Amino acid sequence: MKQTNEITRATASANTQQSRKDTPCIEMEDVTVRFDGKTVLEKFSLMVDRGEKVVLTGPSGRGKSTVLRSILGFVVPESGTIRVLGEPLSSGAIWRLRTLIGYVPQEPDLGSGSVRDWLERPFSYRANKELKKNLAKLPEMFHQFLLPLDLLEKDVETLSGGEKQRVTIVSALLLQRPILLLDEPTSALDEASRKRLTEFLSLSSDLTVLMVSHEPELLRAADRKIKLS
Amino acid sequence: MGAVDLSIDGLVIYYILLIIPLGLMLWLHIPMIGKTLVSIVRMTLQLAFVGLYLQVVFKINSPWLNSLWLVVMVGVADFSIIRGCGLRLARFAGPLFGALVAGTALPLLFFVGPLLKRPNLMDAQYVIPIGGMILGNCLRADIIGIRNFYESLKKGEKAFILSLAQGARLKEAILPYLRDACEAALMPTVATIATIGLVALPGMMTGVILGGANPVTAIKYQIAIMIAIFTGTAITVVLGILMTIRSSFTPYGVLDVASFSK
Repeated sequence: MKQTNEITRATASANTQQSRKDTPCIEMEDVTVRFDGKTVLEKFSLMVDRGEKVVLTGPSGRGKSTVLRSILGFVVPESGTIRVLGEPLSSGAIWRLRTLIGYVPQEPDLGSGSVRDWLERPFSYRANKELKKNLAKLPEMFHQFLLPLDLLEKDVETLSGGEKQRVTIVSALLLQRPILLLDEPTSALDEASRKRLTEFLSLSSDLTVLMVSHEPELLRAADRKIKLS
Repeated sequence: MGAVDLSIDGLVIYYILLIIPLGLMLWLHIPMIGKTLVSIVRMTLQLAFVGLYLQVVFKINSPWLNSLWLVVMVGVADFSIIRGCGLRLARFAGPLFGALVAGTALPLLFFVGPLLKRPNLMDAQYVIPIGGMILGNCLRADIIGIRNFYESLKKGEKAFILSLAQGARLKEAILPYLRDACEAALMPTVATIATIGLVALPGMMTGVILGGANPVTAIKYQIAIMIAIFTGTAITVVLGILMTIRSSFTPYGVLDVASFSK
């Protein structure tokens, strides 16, 4: 009898793991977003599977950035459902769900202070304290994204747009999130940096990426493109 | 020995001095003559009313009436801070009132109780002027602190949002803004503490000297009131911001634009 219970438990656990693997990383179902009476998204649905690289394209003002911001709970839809790894987005769950997502906004504002302080700050948050050891990967990450190490002592306000974008990408990667949301991540990057990012994303098979971009290289490297029109 | 009383005639004549600043404004075309005149009339009427009222309050010296007067003063300060910071009255009046009561009551009761050792903690002669001085400074500091907090959050919204996306809880994400706001609010008091007696003789000290006490007593009062003011402003600024947070952010941690009056 005991043996049967153990077998049942083992099977249940295997099933749960399998179902977790099968659960899409991001699901949006009939999501409608309105700002000041203007409809930005209407009954928008999307599903991104684990490890998939999906690019959102389309003319400006069609709600591409809004899709990313709604997944992070910065925009609350009027109707529809959003799920991250199967868990519905709610005011209670959002704080934990954000720790599963890395975000690189368009034209990131890094506030003030040195680049080093800015990169270290997220590890002082309770949710990331255990990841502090990842800071040891900083030199490797800087090299990967063609950033000189002396940049660490510079003030974030003096960085160029491209440097800010790459520093934000490095931060998101150091935080080791399984999902990445990138909003025009190459808009201020030169060709060499663009190539590095594309290569990195293509090689990161476990990483689920949803990005807004019109960059041909990223579009080619993506598994799927969704046009918002 | 008390302060020499001023005659009404003499005070009316003293108003003539105002011709000088008003004349300078006119000469330099500074567009605030109307505002200045309204302020002078308001000051006269307000002080006349308060003077008459306080005469009654001091005569009766009832702890309840004195407490009520303090509550009215806190209420007026509460309203002024909310208006000065461009916040919505209905959302913020309650939390700010609580912060002001805590920030004023604690240093005031320690002043009148353990320091002055008055048998009646709510003695009008001490509670009303000292409470007024603490509250007046809290009001100024709160307007600076709360305004600074919300304005820098609005200005740095992208950076704030990014810190939430990096896994910060709301309290962790607002911490840099809270720190800056408190620094801005407390800086004037710290600067006053550092230069007191050198740049100007402060109001409390002047009042005690005019009241006939010796300068050493006046200095002791001044030191105590500076400690009370600094303690009160620190409490009200920090509590004022922390207690308004619940009303000014959405449950998702985003600044709620509906918290601000247009």
